[in-house]
Amino acid sequence: MYARYGTDDPIPDRLNLLRRAARSARYMAWPAAGAAVAALVSTLSRVAGPLVIREGVDGGIIPQNTSVITTAALVFAGIMVAQYVSTRITLYTVAWMGERFMMDLRTRIYAHVLRMDMAFFGRTKTGVLVSRLTSDIESLQIFASEGALAVVGSTLMVVGVSVALFVVDPFLAGLVMLLMPFLLFASYRFGRDSAKAYRQWRGQIAKVLAALSENISGVREVQANAQEQRQEERFSDIDRVYYQKAMNAAKTVVNYFPRVDVLRAIGLAMVLFIGGNRVLDGEMTLGSLIAFLLYLNWFFEPIVQLANVYNLLQGALAALYKLYGLADEQPAIEEATEPRRLSAPVEGNIDLHQVTFGYDPGEQIITNLDLQIPAGQRVAVVGATGSGKSTLVKLLTRFYDPQAGSITLDGIDLRDLSFADLRRSVALVPQEGFLFEDSLRFNLAFGKEEISDDKLWEACRAAGIAEWVESLPEGLDTLMRERGNRLSSGERQLVALTRALVVNPPIVILDEATSNLDPETENQVETALETLLAGRTSIVVAHRLQTARRADRVLVMEAGQVVEDGSYQDLAGRDGPFADLIRTWETSAGLEGTHRAGLVQGTGIESLGLAVDGDHLAADVAS
Amino acid sequence: MDNRRDWSDLWKGLRLIISGFLRYPRLVIFSILAALVWMAVTVANPYLQKLVVDNAIEAGQTNLLVPLVLILLLAGLMRAASIAWRRWYAFKLAYRYEIDLRGQIFSTIQRLGFDFYDHSSAGSLMARASTDLTQVRLVYMILPITLANIITVAMVVVMAFVLDPVMGMVAALALPVMVGFAILYARKTTGISFQVQQALAEMSRLAQEGISGIAVTKAFGREEREARRAQQVAADIFSKSMGLARFRSLYLPWYELIPTLITLAALWLGGIRVANGDMTIGDLVAFTQYLVVLAFPIRMTGWFFAELPRCSAAGARIVELLQTTPSIMGPDRPTRLAPGGGEIRFDGVSFAYDGQKVLGDLDLVIPAGSSVALFGATGCGKTTLAHLIPRFYDPQEGTVSIDGMDVRALDMAELRREVAVAFEEPFLFSATVAENIAFGAPDADRSRIVAAARIADAHEFIQSLPDGYDTVVGERGLSLSGGQRQRVALARAIVGNPRILILDDATSAVDAITEAHIHAELIEAMQHRTTIVIAHRTSTLLLADRIIVLEGGRVLAFGEHQQLWDSVPRYRELLAEARPVHP
Repeated sequence: MYARYGTDDPIPDRLNLLRRAARSARYMAWPAAGAAVAALVSTLSRVAGPLVIREGVDGGIIPQNTSVITTAALVFAGIMVAQYVSTRITLYTVAWMGERFMMDLRTRIYAHVLRMDMAFFGRTKTGVLVSRLTSDIESLQIFASEGALAVVGSTLMVVGVSVALFVVDPFLAGLVMLLMPFLLFASYRFGRDSAKAYRQWRGQIAKVLAALSENISGVREVQANAQEQRQEERFSDIDRVYYQKAMNAAKTVVNYFPRVDVLRAIGLAMVLFIGGNRVLDGEMTLGSLIAFLLYLNWFFEPIVQLANVYNLLQGALAALYKLYGLADEQPAIEEATEPRRLSAPVEGNIDLHQVTFGYDPGEQIITNLDLQIPAGQRVAVVGATGSGKSTLVKLLTRFYDPQAGSITLDGIDLRDLSFADLRRSVALVPQEGFLFEDSLRFNLAFGKEEISDDKLWEACRAAGIAEWVESLPEGLDTLMRERGNRLSSGERQLVALTRALVVNPPIVILDEATSNLDPETENQVETALETLLAGRTSIVVAHRLQTARRADRVLVMEAGQVVEDGSYQDLAGRDGPFADLIRTWETSAGLEGTHRAGLVQGTGIESLGLAVDGDHLAADVAS
Repeated sequence: MDNRRDWSDLWKGLRLIISGFLRYPRLVIFSILAALVWMAVTVANPYLQKLVVDNAIEAGQTNLLVPLVLILLLAGLMRAASIAWRRWYAFKLAYRYEIDLRGQIFSTIQRLGFDFYDHSSAGSLMARASTDLTQVRLVYMILPITLANIITVAMVVVMAFVLDPVMGMVAALALPVMVGFAILYARKTTGISFQVQQALAEMSRLAQEGISGIAVTKAFGREEREARRAQQVAADIFSKSMGLARFRSLYLPWYELIPTLITLAALWLGGIRVANGDMTIGDLVAFTQYLVVLAFPIRMTGWFFAELPRCSAAGARIVELLQTTPSIMGPDRPTRLAPGGGEIRFDGVSFAYDGQKVLGDLDLVIPAGSSVALFGATGCGKTTLAHLIPRFYDPQEGTVSIDGMDVRALDMAELRREVAVAFEEPFLFSATVAENIAFGAPDADRSRIVAAARIADAHEFIQSLPDGYDTVVGERGLSLSGGQRQRVALARAIVGNPRILILDDATSAVDAITEAHIHAELIEAMQHRTTIVIAHRTSTLLLADRIIVLEGGRVLAFGEHQQLWDSVPRYRELLAEARPVHP
């Protein structure tokens, strides 16, 4: 549903949407009432102005009575004070309500998104979620700060001025009202067409920016493939469409406002001609005519303004629709209603019983898996891509729940355990060491924010990164910029390992990085890893030979099943899949050798495999 | 970013804005002309109303009423037409120039070299082409009308003097108050809005980060704390926005009040003057209308001048970007690459990166049709060396040549067609898999694409995608895993049948079994071309028949594995440090 962004879908039930928004803002009923009263006062005081002027003209200027003129001026000044105060109250209250609503919405939607399950994040693009939280809420905010007041104020103004016109001169007012249908029709058409045109324009802006961003991200590929010219042509096509859409939107504006001006001119001519004749005939005073002229300006403005904000209103409704759609999504993984709390840390016995799982209903990744891991055991999971290793990790951390069967921790079903206890018991070190754009302290203490600096340093020393942290410009306060881009992948890995160590969990689940680490940090990572795993139950998705070798137990997975299970020595000795796997590592040299026998011809490539292997055997003994 | 930029920057931005105006003289002249007509009619209107009141109504001349009202109606129609005209040309000018400038920005950043991208963030480049450009566009939208507005204001004051010198004085005194207030208000608002914008940007950053790092947040059960962080930011947005609201509610009413106040003063003073017979009632009507007319142009002009520094600062940033020249450009008269087997020669090549020496006086010949691995510790320059061949960088000294021709003499497009690179972290465009593979060779047909995919061991997984080769991938499509992306990129490098193939650790994210498959297929594909493999892992080394050991920016040894193993102790050391084959 959120896969398409940048386009606004038609909104099915506007009224319902507004009702829901109003319900969630019910606590603002009193400020709203206050704002309404203030807006009413402000409109009334504005409408009263020309009436005072009429009195001044008819009772003061024409009969040449200067004291009436002064009185009228004083009354007018008093009205202005009322107008200032009431306008100010309205502006402020409406802004407060809007901003308050936005703040609550931001907080609520973000908290809701964070509670969603991992499957949700798998099917929803980051960009879509970010735009919900930013541009969608911002378009609501623009409406709240500019549109909402205009809607209320302008509506009041139209009514107020219409009444005033009739009060001053019903006959002329009736004539002016003849223009109303034309004005309303033009405004309605403008509101409708421009909302559509601007929506298309915004959609195209999104496309232009997406194309641009893609080209910046992929600029190396563009240059490496000498595709600059073609990419430029493509971009220019998209940008030309943008121009057309922009001009389409401009056309609606260009067409509408002159129409209003023509109506205004007709209205003015009508008032001056007929009103003038009526003044000459003595049916109307000059003061009334002047007041009428003043009102005429105010009669057109609010309607134009309403047509203008229609656009904003459409955008706001579309945003609200999408936001409520997001708020209505329910997380598939939720904490039990009455979760089990642990009185003491778990020992770390893991038991999978007949576990079946698939990301899509039709497709099972893991079928009827049984697995017992006693506390304190170090387990390495190996297997080809797609064998279900990572899925196993996701089940153990309860990122997903099995479709059938159960996973228990010391006999407690993961689904019954409170989230807090689950997270305290099981720490995950993901493949990519993700860093938050905050201080190193924040990143290290992520799982345990209340930890003291002393304890943090202790963990750093244990993980062997204390020296590295000290070498950073601001130690623990050093900022990790732009998703940790400044750190090497090895350093990121070190932070991630220490982060898990800080939590001190009974169980560690580690998805080993496949990408290369620089040799300098590789040894450090090794040390940190050993510290973290020592004395804990651990499940390691192994991508490296020595990781598998150091485990107490190796699980070989194939198509969602554990096909081999035993110690490294056992499995290596058997003639099973694991032995095959080892052979692939060790003799991938040989594999190529056969293909390239003609080229390589006994250059001793086999010895390369052995040498590497031998070296690591030595490393093994040393540790 | 900030309001107070250097004068030189201001001037730089203004020059960009002016040069844009010079580019579309017709549009500029039309929009200014239209604005002037609009101005003339606007100024004439209250005077016509005065004539109606004084000469027709007050004088009791019914016969004058009809022609005067008709003139007034005509003026109204002209005003409407001129507004439409002015707006149309202003929009046209602004959008035309916007896409023009964006095209230039696009073309510039596409041609800036790897060195540029090593130092700049995507976010700031995006800002140039979006927010900065929107700022500049604003000037184009409002400059013509601002010119007309300034003239209008001057004309109105003149007209006020014509009507009645005393009342003219009132207008002349009112003017500075209104202008001063408009500028003050606009400037203040921009300042506070900027703070609000920054708070909003922080929200965006936080959301982006929180969602990207969701797995970590969930794994450590920190959802609530992350939510609290967002709450703080939301509260910050709230308080900054309320600061703006407070300011607006304090000053915005004055916008209406000041003209009304002046009208009041005019009515009072003018009323007394009319009552005393010093001026006509029509003059008074016209005068009050003029004061109403003044309000909008002044407000807009104030806003324009408050925005101008920001606009020209944005313009200056765009100019800076446009003036960045690519460090690497093709020659004016390129030589065609003669047919050959792809021999690569480095002669006395030195290369420093940010003042740090990477390669020093390096000599090397890679024979045509051979396959070599570049090997060495991190930072030894192996990637740099490979990147010199397709001219991603140019050496500071020495020459790189292909089949005897200096790469700098060749046409860039031809060079990069002949030298294909598969990157370690490849980028896939939001297009179909087939289009992604054929990215560098748009003329490749489906059979060639499939053949390349087979060599990269990608055919099978591509076929299992929802729409096979026509599945859209990338940011707006299906997300592929790292290993899958690498395999598509490998196919992309092979499909153009390049003379030289560079594999920049191109299979680091695939598992060992798949890697072995790829290697087996690649051997075939490597037959008739020169292949350079940048090796971080020992398994990759095996793809090449010879190995170049780099150390300290020089070639330490070049030979077959066994030979190096026997005679180069450093090679044995490096092998031990490097990563073994992984499962």
